[in-house]
Order: sequence, then structure tokens, then C-alpha cells
Amino acid sequence: MLSRVADSLYWMSRYMERSDGILRMLKMNYASSQDEFIEFSWQPVLKIFTYLEEDDAKAISNQTREVLQFMVTDKENANSVYNIVTQARENARSVQDHISKELWQCLNDFYHVMRNERLVQLLHQEDPITVLDDLIKHCLLYYGIADVTMARGEGISFMNIGKYLERGIQSSDILDVKFNSLGNDSDKNADITYWKYLLLSISGYQLYLKTYRSGFEARNVLEQIVLDDRFPRSVSYSINRLHIYFKRLKSERNASSYNQIDFMIGKLASKVQYSTPEAIMEQGLHQYLNEIISQLNGIGIALNEKYFAYS
Amino acid sequence: MQNNVLLANYNPDLNTWDEMYENANVRKQYQGVLDFLQRLSIEELNKKEEQARRLFMSQGITFTVYSSGEGIEKIFPFDIIPRIITNTEWEHIENGIKQRLKALNLFLKDVYNEQFIINDGVIPAEMVYSCPHFVREMYGFPVPYDIYVHIAGIDLIRDSDGSFYILEDNLRTPSGVSYMLENREITKRLFPDLLPKNNVRTVLEYPAILHKNLVSLSPRQTANPTVVVLTPGIYNSAYFEHTTLARLMGVELVEGRDLVVDNLRVYMKTTVGLQQVDVIYRRVDDEFLDPLVFNQNSLLGVAGLMSAYRKGNVAIVNATGTGVADDKAIYTFVPAMIQYYLNEEPILKNVPTYQLGNLEERDHVFSNMNKMVIKKTNESGGYGMLMGNTATDEEIHTYKTEIAKDPRQFIAQPIISLSSAPCYMNGRLQPRRIDLRPYALCGPDGIEIVPGGLTRVALREGSLVVNSSQGGGSKDTWVLADKPERN
Repeated sequence: MLSRVADSLYWMSRYMERSDGILRMLKMNYASSQDEFIEFSWQPVLKIFTYLEEDDAKAISNQTREVLQFMVTDKENANSVYNIVTQARENARSVQDHISKELWQCLNDFYHVMRNERLVQLLHQEDPITVLDDLIKHCLLYYGIADVTMARGEGISFMNIGKYLERGIQSSDILDVKFNSLGNDSDKNADITYWKYLLLSISGYQLYLKTYRSGFEARNVLEQIVLDDRFPRSVSYSINRLHIYFKRLKSERNASSYNQIDFMIGKLASKVQYSTPEAIMEQGLHQYLNEIISQLNGIGIALNEKYFAYS
Repeated sequence: MQNNVLLANYNPDLNTWDEMYENANVRKQYQGVLDFLQRLSIEELNKKEEQARRLFMSQGITFTVYSSGEGIEKIFPFDIIPRIITNTEWEHIENGIKQRLKALNLFLKDVYNEQFIINDGVIPAEMVYSCPHFVREMYGFPVPYDIYVHIAGIDLIRDSDGSFYILEDNLRTPSGVSYMLENREITKRLFPDLLPKNNVRTVLEYPAILHKNLVSLSPRQTANPTVVVLTPGIYNSAYFEHTTLARLMGVELVEGRDLVVDNLRVYMKTTVGLQQVDVIYRRVDDEFLDPLVFNQNSLLGVAGLMSAYRKGNVAIVNATGTGVADDKAIYTFVPAMIQYYLNEEPILKNVPTYQLGNLEERDHVFSNMNKMVIKKTNESGGYGMLMGNTATDEEIHTYKTEIAKDPRQFIAQPIISLSSAPCYMNGRLQPRRIDLRPYALCGPDGIEIVPGGLTRVALREGSLVVNSSQGGGSKDTWVLADKPERN
């Protein structure tokens, strides 16, 4: 497969995973903003998911609709869903002969939905959950079509590598935002709605109820989102999947590149596998998650050098 | 219920050949479609039009116009009413194009080798050498099977008596074939069952024939040669076509930056290292193909490509240098070529063309400017064209001055009226002018033309310019079978 094509498939997939992650994160935060007695602050979201200066972020951090518009439809915000979907679609456009026609049309339709002026209006006037759910459905459609229509070759391996690398980063980010805004507030620590929304937004609520009978505890939430291999959005699951799809690239023809990246992923997978919630809390969740994110980024850089370099 | 409003305003120009009407009677080939259309209400037809627009948009059959840093998706306008060609008409066109393309390939072989046609005084040497698309590097280089033009998109028009004329020979990187294919797919969706009921011949074989020809050109004797389509990239307005052709043939779509030349061989950069490329169907013009030989500022091409080509390690389709044969000044000599190489009478006529280097012809043109169209010899796509009947005195004056300075750069032709065909506009059928571009494929086994092509239409009332860059649209083009192809 052409290096350029592998690069585009990888980024198409990363951008779609990112759109999905951001949309879910927004939905969860919006939902919990409706239950706050005191004014809800979007500050942590803006800090992690945008490049806004602290003052600019502060200026809109209490204005839910403005934040939603900025994060979803704003053309100036490089990390808005609008721009991310545009990027995904531009990447897909340059590899149309490597993805199924259905997948291309799904992405192209999503792009046209994002460009429709009506979306700005809806986001301003209607129930944001309904609007965000509609957009999330486009992401789900994309996942389904990719799974059902894509040939099982090198292409889908690069897509899956991009997807799970991005998901590992997204799940770490989302968790980090939530624990960050928690601070040392022990009341919130026991607040059921707070955890419920987090888990609902990443489809982890039911699994949580079945696993932990004792109600909501920060430790358990952390365990599920970081360490639980049955949970498809956990950091651990993402890294293991990343490893499985990367192993499919094994080839005699570039053994040294392969071995180097295989080592990096394996090392990270072991680090997560041999963590416990208690050890993570002791080290500090923020620091732990940041180490994971920086190692995942390192793997991304190595992939770029060894597999995608074409200029 | 019959929708009579549909035809209420259909009044084709009396001095024009109309594809549907003959003295206010409907031609047989259009009767089936017309009956079908008249059973639909205006609301239904409008819905079809909207459906077509959505299908083009959703499938990304678009080109992007960039303004103020933002891309705007545009659709090439599509008219939902098909253009219909009878089997008899098609046979004539098919034979004429095959004959012409055969002669043009012989001409290219000759002009880049022995040059008999120049030595015998049929074509003046300066006509050939003054052509900007003559490529010296091709001289004395034997291309595989002596085929220079593998894909031709020869444009035809129809004069008021219905006879077909060749308007121009597009022999470099003719585009539009994806619209031939996609327009047909859209018709299938808009008008279920209409195609088989009317015995319309299929165009689906095009990618398979093209692929077969490309594979046969591989210099390496291998079961599975690497064929690629070379595109200038996603910002090119024909990008959709490049990706469609690559997808339909199942070959790799590459950009210049994906390729590298090493030791006179061409390779593509893959995730597991370099892979040798055997055949390049390039959609990049000659001048951008190899910065070492042509335009040295080009980033679209591949350094060293021409050396690998001349060494015979890679096939390039169409060959470089074919532009010398579709130059508008050389066009005049094509009938003479057909006689010279094939000893046959041309089946399809040229539009009469005046050489402005010849003083007598120039005087004739200058005194009849309002009946003439002036074209630049090395431009295409409707650029650099002056329609004498609508131009201002000032424009005419500018052209006359330019022509006097360098007559080789221009030709003049009498304005041919172009046939008209029905288009659906504002709830009615209205006559609009059209041309026809069939796609001929030349391989080691001969020339094949899928029955169909691209019909371009001048959407503005009275306009004779069909180029998409000048406000033209397109139609699905039907060639009818004599007898039902299926039972």
C-alpha cells in the first residue's frame, strides 16, 4: 500500500474517532450542566479540547450555547467538529479507491450535514442533546459501514491503528477533564449524577452497574475507564486493540521499523496491564494519564516516520 | 393523464438540426422517452431534478472551488433528459472515429520518426515544429505497439443538415469519461426500467477495456503488472474522475510525490518499501510530467520519468508529445493524413478551417468576421475563443491585431450552428445546443469505442459554447441497439 494512502486512512480514522469523542464529551457535559445548582463551568473542556487562551476560555466558560457552537460549528476553531469532519473527509477523498463507496458516501454526507447552515441555528435554539445525538449517529454509521464493507487488508489495519490510538487518547482526556474539575471536592466525589453522566456518555453505565454493586465511587470509575478490558472505551482495551492491529502489519520487508514500534506498544500495554487503581491514585491520575497520552503520541510519531514518510 | 405543458414551448430554431423534432414531428428514437415524460407531472419531474442533484452531491461527484480559504462544492450541471443516438448514426460515428484515430496514430509515429509526410510535402515542416506540444525527446523513440494515443476524446457536432463534423481531436489527457459513466448511473435511479425498455446499449465495459489495454503495455513480462493512474492531486477539478477510474479498474491512484525514479526504473513508495511501476495512465499534462525535461518548477511530476520511459522501463499513457496531433492548426491536415496513410476518404468531415498565415484566407476571414469563430491553436476548454457574431468591435479589433502579429497561433472556422436537443428547464422542455464526445480506446487489438459518450450542452438560450468552464452542462447519452440486447 502507498505510504500516502496509509497515512490518509490512518488520519481519516483518527479524525472520525476524535469527532465521536468530542461529540460524546460535549453531550455528557451539557447533560450534567443541567443538574448543577451553581453555574456550570466549561473551563476544563475548553482547556483540554481547544487552543483557546485562558482569558478567552474564561470569557465563554459559563455560556453553554456559545461553547457548543465554538466546539461544534465554529470554522475558526481548528478542533471544532466541523473542521475535524472536514479533515476526515478530505483524507477520505484522496483515498476513495481504497475505501468502500458506501464509506465514502457516509463521510461525504456527514460533511454536508456539518456544512449546513441550519446546524448553527439548531444548536442555538433546539435541545442540544437531540442535535448532538443526530451527529453522533453519523459517527456510529461510519463505524458500522467501515466494519461491514471494508476489505480485511492493510488498509483497515491502518484505520484501526488510527482509531484505537485516538480512542486511547480521547478516553484519557475525558477522564482527565472530569477528575480535574472534581478537585478535592469530596461532596462531588459521592455525587451519583456526576458519574452517571460520564459513564452514560461513553456507553459504560450498564457495565458499571453490573460490575460494581456498591454505588458510585471514583476508584471504580477509574478502574473501568482505564483498566477494564471488557469495556471498549477503556484505555487498556484501546491499547490492546492497537497492538493487535499493528501486529497484522508484520512483514519481512521492513522488520526493523516493525520491531521498534511493536516494542513501544508492548511496553505501554504492559504498563497499563500491571497498574492498579490504588497505585494510579497514589501516583496521581493526572500524571498517570499524561504519561499514557505522551507515549501514545510517541507511537504516532514513530508510525509517521517509519510507515507514512513519503516526501 | 398527459402533461401537455411540457412541449408547449418547444420551438427549435428552423435553421438547426433538432435531435427530437423533424418538421414538428417527433423522431422515432425519442418517442419512447417522450411518452414516458408526458406521463409525469411537473412536480414529479422537478423532484427528479432535485434527486439528481442530491445523488451527485452525496457521491461527491463534484469539483471544489476555493475562495477565501474555504472549499465550496460544485456540481457540473446535469440535464435529466437523455440525448439519443440511433444505431445507424452510431455506426457512422464509430467508423469515422476509428479511421481518424488510426491515421492520427500513424501520423504521430511518422512525425517522431522518418517524417515521410513532411518530406512528401503533405504537411509543411514549420507547421509541425512551431507547435508548442511537439516534444523533441520523443524523436526516434519506439513506443510500444506504435500506439501514441491510447485514449481519445474526439468532439463531434452536427450541422443544420444533420451531418456530423469533427470539431476537435482531444489526444492529450481528454477528460469527462467519468461523467459518461455516472450520468448513466443517475438515469438508472431517476427513471427505473426506462433504459431496458428503450434498448439502450450499456457503457459499463469502459473501465475493463481500458484496464486490459493498460496491462498489455507493461514492459515487464509479469502476470500482474503494476498499473497506476497519476493525478495532479485532490485540488484538480477532474480529481473525481481520476479516483473513479482508479477505483473501477482496481489500480492504485498516485500523485507525483508517491513516485520515485531509481536506476531508470519507476517505483512507488509503499508501507513496505519501494514497488516497481510498469504502466502509468497519467492525467498530468506533458509539461508538468518531469521537471528534468519540461517545466522545472513543476511539483506534480516525477524527476527522471522521461529517462525511464525512453529506456523502455515504464509505459506512459497517452504517450508524451501527442499534442502535436491535436493542435488546431494541424487539425486542418487530418483529412489529408487519412488519405496519405490509409488511402481512404474521410468518413467524418472536418469543419472548414482557415489558416490565417495564408493571406487570401485571412482576408476572407477578416471581411466575414461576424460569421467566424476564432480559436487559439494551443488552447482548449473554450478558452481563447472569439465568437464573431456576438463579439464587440473592440474585441474583434484586438483579435485582428493579434492575428496579424502571429497568425500561426490562430485558426478561423465558420460558425457551425450545432444541433439542439430537449432540456428540462422551468417545467418545460426547451431546445439547447449540444455536442458529442465519444471515448475511443486504442490497444494492441485495435480501437474500441463504448457506445455512448459525453453530451455537453450549452445551457444558456442561444449559446453555442458547451464547455463546462463556460457554463455548459451534460446529459446522459444513449446509443440504441437495433434489436433488443436482452430478452
